[in-house]
Order: sequence, then structure tokens, then C-alpha cells
Amino acid sequence: MTLLKAEDISVRDGGTVILEPLSLQLDPGEPLVILGETGSGKSLMAQALMGTLPPELDAKGRIAIGTQVLNAGAPARFRGLWGREIGVLPQEPWLSLDPLMRARDQVAETHALVRGLPRGKARARAGADLAALGLGGSETRYPHELSGGMAQRVAIAAARAGGARIVIADEPTKGLDAARRDDVAALLLTEMGETGGLLVITHDLALARRLGGRAIVLRAGAVVECGATDQVFAAPKAPYTKEFFAADPERWAPRRHAARGGPAVVSAKGLALSRGGRTLFEDVSLEIFQGGVFGVTGPSGCGKSSLGDALLGLIDPARGTVSRRSGNHPNDFQKLYQDPVAAFPRKRTLGQTIADTARLCGARPGEIETLRDRLGLAPGLLARRPGAVSGGELQRLSLLRVLLRNPSFIFADEPTSRLDPITQARVIALLTETTERDGTALLLVSHDAALIRNTADTVLALAAPRPPCRPDAALARRRVASTLH
Amino acid sequence: MSVVEIHGARRPSLPLARMTGATLVVLVVLFALAGPLLVPGDPFAQSLMKALAGPEAAAPLGYDHLGRSVFHRLAHALRLSPLIALAAVATAGAAGLLLGTLAAAQGGWADRILTMLADALLALPGLLLVLIVLAILPGTALGFWAGLSLVLWVEFFRLTRAATRETLASPAVQASRLLGFGPAYLFRTHVWPEIAPMMLTAAAFGTATAIMAIAALGFVHVGMRAPTPELGLMMVELLPYWREAPLALLSPVLATFALLLGLTLLAGSRET
Amino acid sequence: MSALASRLVQAIMVALLIGAATFAMMRSLPGDAAWRIAAGRYGYDNVDAAAADAVRAELGLGGPALPALLQWLGDLARLDFGTSLVTGRPVAAEIAHQLGASASLALVAVLLSLLIGPPLGILAGLRPGGPLDRGLLVASTGLKAVPQFLMALVLIVALAVQLRWLPAAGHGTARHFILPGLTLALGLAAVNARIARDAMARIAAMPFWRFAQWKGLSERQTLIRHGLRNVSVPLITYLGLQFVTLVEGVIIVESIFGWPGIGHALVHAIFSRDVPMVQGTALVLGLGFVVVNAAIDLAVRHLDPRVAA
Repeated sequence: MTLLKAEDISVRDGGTVILEPLSLQLDPGEPLVILGETGSGKSLMAQALMGTLPPELDAKGRIAIGTQVLNAGAPARFRGLWGREIGVLPQEPWLSLDPLMRARDQVAETHALVRGLPRGKARARAGADLAALGLGGSETRYPHELSGGMAQRVAIAAARAGGARIVIADEPTKGLDAARRDDVAALLLTEMGETGGLLVITHDLALARRLGGRAIVLRAGAVVECGATDQVFAAPKAPYTKEFFAADPERWAPRRHAARGGPAVVSAKGLALSRGGRTLFEDVSLEIFQGGVFGVTGPSGCGKSSLGDALLGLIDPARGTVSRRSGNHPNDFQKLYQDPVAAFPRKRTLGQTIADTARLCGARPGEIETLRDRLGLAPGLLARRPGAVSGGELQRLSLLRVLLRNPSFIFADEPTSRLDPITQARVIALLTETTERDGTALLLVSHDAALIRNTADTVLALAAPRPPCRPDAALARRRVASTLH
Repeated sequence: MSVVEIHGARRPSLPLARMTGATLVVLVVLFALAGPLLVPGDPFAQSLMKALAGPEAAAPLGYDHLGRSVFHRLAHALRLSPLIALAAVATAGAAGLLLGTLAAAQGGWADRILTMLADALLALPGLLLVLIVLAILPGTALGFWAGLSLVLWVEFFRLTRAATRETLASPAVQASRLLGFGPAYLFRTHVWPEIAPMMLTAAAFGTATAIMAIAALGFVHVGMRAPTPELGLMMVELLPYWREAPLALLSPVLATFALLLGLTLLAGSRET
Repeated sequence: MSALASRLVQAIMVALLIGAATFAMMRSLPGDAAWRIAAGRYGYDNVDAAAADAVRAELGLGGPALPALLQWLGDLARLDFGTSLVTGRPVAAEIAHQLGASASLALVAVLLSLLIGPPLGILAGLRPGGPLDRGLLVASTGLKAVPQFLMALVLIVALAVQLRWLPAAGHGTARHFILPGLTLALGLAAVNARIARDAMARIAAMPFWRFAQWKGLSERQTLIRHGLRNVSVPLITYLGLQFVTLVEGVIIVESIFGWPGIGHALVHAIFSRDVPMVQGTALVLGLGFVVVNAAIDLAVRHLDPRVAA
């Protein structure tokens, strides 16, 4: 029996159609994955199914859940389904739990208020739910005392305690480390079981592949491809799907290694860093060479970004030494930021900021234009402010700005973590090209091990602190620098 | 994102509110400056025969209990306290901006001592400080200027310090420093654009606070001394005659309210 | 712990500032101050040169400034506030006498403001941009532009003079609380309401608010279970900062309504240059701020486990 059937769901913003008519159905025990990049309309689809579209948007279509048939254009009626028929696993589960309430109470209130169990019974059920998810002993913790994965399990227990058989998960791996993706997939599949329904909205290809079932690929509000997930991945038909999948760092062709030449641009010996009294890592030694890409990866909080800052001299190491080759000028060590919007003066146009830099660096006339064309940037972008430019373009503009300095070393700190896969692939390609062409040394830091593995000449994998960081042999299987200990 | 949207939804009413505020302030200032030019008269001249008399051509707002023209006293009062308030805000703003930037840029002991001083001043009611300074310094106007400057610099200092610290710690400033830009450039392109709108808001609020303080102390007889025409003093003098001469009392009340409302609206919405 | 330590530093700084300021006030008293003070103390008929000299010596009105300042601060450190120059009674006793009247007025004002402001603010914050929100914005902006003395004047004219419902001044019965209490409460409520409104709007836009409804809770259940507690944290924090506004209001309102409290005493002391009384009352008000805020720090810590972490 089909749990949910949606027919011809479309969404309009005034006169423009932002989601073309789309039909789907959820069957027990078979996950449905909606895949797409930012702006593909995948979240709109989920919002239309839950009745949570912003009021200025218009939805059309019919949705049948159990015995009820609802009109997507009348979202008020969906409210009664929440918690009882549809459970929502929200993005960023940490922020979705009340910061002032203990974990068990957040689950127990669903049992009590939605299902109508008496208080004591609701608390007992909530305790049992949490224990079943491996959270026994954490019932009385507050959300800030839970890890991201634990918060997610609390959230799913709370979402389903009202008896919902269908789970809708919106970007469930957002903000989670790569290592946690498999746990999320396993959790979702277990919760679905044989009889439940599961709809997952994501841009995370690894998650989609792990979930299996059926998949719909969306682009710009229209369906590009659909079918069994395995089939879609094994033999994508649409050109966009092919490009989308090819942009997955897992599938990148490993980069050809650069020949190592000359003395190290920057090197560290026996480096240890600590933050807030806690040691991030110890005894890291490395050398980064001209024209080479040095990759650093590891889970969040392992100190990979701090390592880059220490190499730039922005923070002082707890122990060990950093030596930088004296370059052409004092400012030839540069940095690219995770959030490029925050790296530009907010209230100045990009053109002004870049012209200031060119003047400061004594750039040749026409150099800005040359670099702009090389990085594939439209001239009109320079008239805008940082907030009005897309992330991919802004990261390329950041690159343009540091290239005006003619740097000998660039530290790129998670430069693509906020970009869509296709844009990410382009930005990383530009970065490596620049490194090879200008003979710059590049330190590339990313949480994405596959990206680092397929891009860097040398890989340093840091582990989560305590136990102290050691380069992880499994991840660093590609010609790990001999200088690592 | 949705938080931004909520605030965004409120934004459209803001320019309108600010325009209304500016209009009110301009109207009051225009009255204070141009009123006595249009209808010449002396704010101090008494004529007991006309005590509490109604409006006439030479005194468009009638007479007070001593037979002085309320119109001219009000115009005079509306020059006096705003002038003191502006002087105090200018002093406090300059001091707060300078010390706030210094504390944020230097850090260390300079920052700690200034913050401790500001925190202590924050615990003291402003009126109390003004009263004590008034008792120390000769001359009421001088006392008000000094006392209000002492009270008001704290807000400018705290705003400047917080915004400058945050800005200096931002990736944008780090990037500019790595590129080799100097402190003057950092201040001009990063710090000042963040502080400037706050300074305008704080200045409008500060002016309103100062005018309120002068009037409040006048109202309880510990501010400006009679026969100086001052807003609070005028109100307390005319309060006993409310039944006989309501317009005489209403004039300073409405003018004060219009001026303060104008300044509050001009300041824009902020969580204080 | 460090929060309490910084409150202690704040208290010491407050005491030092007030000590120094009142010392400066003492030194700036006009030349015949000793004579006047002696007259105030013993009556004009009983004053002679010897009595004036005794006062001069006692208060360090002559002599070098620095030792006198140190002695002044030393007395302060020993909690020796001296005697009132006007009544001759110990300052501590005078203040103990007046504190109760002020505290009860302040408490009534705060409770009244909490009854008016936050409920309206929360309702407005649940529907940002709605009619209640817009109405409240206008009302609170208007109220914020009315200083306490003006509010007092308006209420006196309307409720006491025109309608004759309430006494304009005096102290003693519950009816006497209404006008001064309302004067203070309306100003506080204007700000409370904005704080509650902004906090509620912010919380209603947070993921946990939406998630609570997705779990199946009704809007009312969500408000009671997840709204009120979260709104109370910024509200209480702000209440501490409002203490200064409250004290300023108390100073003015007590003087207007003839309320026999500490604000009234302060204005009197300033007027008659009764420096020890000024110092004593100023200290009580300044340290009151520190104590109230320290208590609020602890309360917030209790409400919000993230602060304690």
C-alpha cells in the first residue's frame, strides 16, 4: 500500500513557475531520494509536501496520505498531519532542539502532547526510544552537551514519537563530517524499517547511494532524471546528471603530480597547536614545495585550519617551529577563506577593494583584466558588493585579489565547502592550475577526504583531538610525505 | 536566514519613521530659531497685569504666572537645552570613538582599565552623576555639559569598542592585513563603515537623553535656576495654573514631546 | 565564577568613583561651608567659630587634597559613612529608614511593567508585522519619548487634577502607590515590550520552534513549552540593565510625588550640599545595580545551561 502519493505538485512565485509539475509516491520500505543542487527546487518540493511553503508562494497539486486527500494550495490543513502522519527530520538537528530543555523531555513531550500518554508513561517511553537509538545515559543532557550525531538521533526520536510512519529528511548530512554520513544513512534506513516511508532531500551523492531505493534528480525546478537509485548512479542518462555526478570528488580523476623543485616554501618541525588549553595535534612536521599542492584533511575540530594559520604566522604554535622562505616581499603568504563574503569589506564594491589591492601591490595596468579573464569572471561583477555575488564567483574574486600580490604561498581554508559540487570542481581546478602555472605553493584544507586525495600531491590526515593527532595511514595512502612522523 | 527576513520585513517602515523624526526635529528647531525673529519679544520681561492671560499678537502662546510671554520663553528654552545637549554629545562622541577604537586596537591594560571604568559608570544612574557634577562645577550650563559628557561617552565607547573588536577579528581584516594594508586603510574601509551608522543612532539617542535630563532636573528644582527659561522649569512653574492657563502648560509639554519623539524616531530602531 | 568576580570589580570601581566624586564635591563647597554645616547641625544660635573649625577639621575642608582624599576613601572602606550634615544622624540610619519606601515603590513598578509589557510583546512577536506588532511599535516608541517627569505630569493632571480619582502626592496607603508606580511602570513596559517582542520574533524564526510544531505540538503548546522560557532569558538580562532607568525614575518620581524614599533624600542632600548623605545614597544606588545584576547573572545561569557551560 502506498503511504504517500503526490500528483502534479507545482510551485509558483507570482507569475514564474519555480517548480514544474512533479509526481511522486512513497512506498513502505523503499526510500525516495530527491537529488539536486542549491536552487534546484528540491526543498520547495519537501515544503509543498509538508505545507510549510512561505505564504507568498503558490502551490498546486493533490497529495494523498493514508486515507486523506489534501490540496497543496491549502497548506493550513497539513498541520494536523505533522507528528501524526509525517515526521520531519530537520536540517541542523542541533538547532532544532530547544537549547533549554533536556533531551528526554523533548521526546517525552511528543508522546504526552501528541499521542496523549500520561506524563510518567511518556517519560518512560521517551527513555526507551533514546536507549533504542544508543542514547541510554544521555537522557538528561541538554542539546549543547550532545554531539551532532546524537542530536540527530534525539531529533528523529522526537519527530516520530507522535506515531508518524513517513519521515521526511531535509539535507540530513548538512554540517556533518564525511565519516558520519554512513551513520545517518543507517539511522534513516533503520527508522524506516519494512513498513515506514522515507523521503530524503539532499545534494550529498554518497548519502543517496547508501540509501538506495528510488531517486529523482532535479535541476532548476524541473525533473532531469528518475529511476532506481542504483540504476541512476550506474548509468546516468541526462547530461546534467552526468556532470553532477562527475563533480563528486570521489569520482575525480586523480591529479598528475607536480615535480618537486627547489627548497621548501614553508616548513614546520615538531609542530603542536592548542586552543583553549586543549591540544589539537602534536608533533607534526611538513614541508610544502613550490608548484605543489599540500592537502590537509580531518574531522571538524582537529585543528586543520589552525595549522594553516600557524604556517601563515597568524597564531603561535604551542611547540615546534615554522620556517618560511624569505620571498619577494613581506606579504607573499596569502589566504583564501571558507566564507568569501566575510573576507571582503562589507560595504565596498568588489571593484574598489580590488583596485585598492592593485594600487597597494603596484600591479601593472591591465593586470586585473588579464586575471579576470583567466579566472572566467564577468566584468560586471566588480560593480557589486560582496553579498550580491554567488559563492563560486566570489571565491574566484578572492583568488584574483591574492594573485595581485604575486604570492609564493596560498593557504586555501575549506575554499569550496559552501559551494555546490559542480562549482566546487571548477574552483578547485582553477586553484590547482594557478599553483602549477605560477609556481605557487598551495596548502589546501578540506573536510572532504576524497577531494584532498584526488587533488593533493601530499596528504596530511589529522584525527580528532585526544587521542593526539597522528597522520592516518588509511587516508594518506597516496604517496604520503616522507617528512611525516 | 529567517531572522534576517523578519527584520527585513520591518525595514520598509524605517525610512518613513526616520523622515518623520527628522521633520519633527527640524520643525522644533525652526520654531526656536525663527520664532522670535517673526514675533519679536523678551522672554524675561514681566507684566503682572497680564499674568496667565491668553494668546495675543505679541505673545502667540499667552502669558505665564508672572506675565512673561510663553512663546518667547519657550523659544529661548528650546535653544538652551538642545545646545547644551549637542555640545555634550559631540564631546562624548569624540571621546567615546577615540577611546573605544584605542581599547579595541590596543587591548591589554588600556582596554581593561577603560572597560572597568565604563562598567562602573554604567552602574550609576546618569542623573546622579549629573547632579554631583553640577554641585562641583560653578555655572549650571557648564555643569550640565560636563556631567552629561561624562555620562554619555560610555555608550559611544561601548559601541565603538564592540564593533571595532568584532571587525578587527573578522576574516576581512585578516585578509587585508595579509595583503599588507596599514591601520589607516583598515580603519577607513573596514571599521568606520560599521561604526558610522551606529554613531548616528547613538548621537540621536544621546541628545534625547541629555535634553530629558536637563528638563527632569529643572522640573524637580535642581537644574537650571529661575528665571532662566528652561523646559522642565517652565512646566513645574506652570503646573499649579493648569486650570487657569492650560495652553501655557501645554506649550512646553508638547514641544518637549515633539522634540524627544523626533530624536527617538531619527535614531531608528535599536534594542534599547 | 569569573562573572561574579567581574561584578566584584565593578562594585569596587563604583565605590571608588562615588568616593572620589563626593570628595570633589566636598572640596568645592563654598568658603563658608563649615559655618553653614555647623549651623545646620547645631542650629544658628549655637554656632561659633570653634564649632565651625571643628567641622572644618572633621571634614578635611582645609589642608592638602591627597591625604584628605585617602582619609575619605579610608572611611569609606571601613563602611564609615559619617553623619548627615543636616540632621546630624548617622547616614546609615537615615538610609535604612528610606530604603524600604523606595524598594517597595520600585518593586510595584517592575511588577506592573511586567504585567503590561512582556505579554503584549510576546503576542506581537508571534506575528511580526501584524496589526498588534505595528500598534505596539508606535505605542512603545511614543512612550519611550516621554520622560518620567513628563509622564508624571500628564498622569497628575489627568487622574489627580482633572478626574480627582487619585491623590497627587503623599505616602501611606495603597492608593498612593498608583500614580508614582504607573509613571515608572509605563516607561519600563515600553522597553520590556520591545525586548520581549524582538526575542519572541527571533525565537519563532529559529529551527527549534518550527521543529516543535513539526513534532505535532499546537502553537499554544509550542509557546508554553518552548517560547516562554526562551523569551525570559533576554528579558531578565535586560531587566538588570533597566535598573539604572528605574533608579533615575525613582529619583525624579519620588521628588515629584513627595515619596519619602532614597531618591527624594538624594535630591535633598544635593540641594543642601549634605555630602555624606549624597555619598551614602549614591553608594546604595550604585551598589544596588551591581547586586541586582549579580543576582540576575545567577538566575540566567540557572535558566540557561549554556551560560554555565
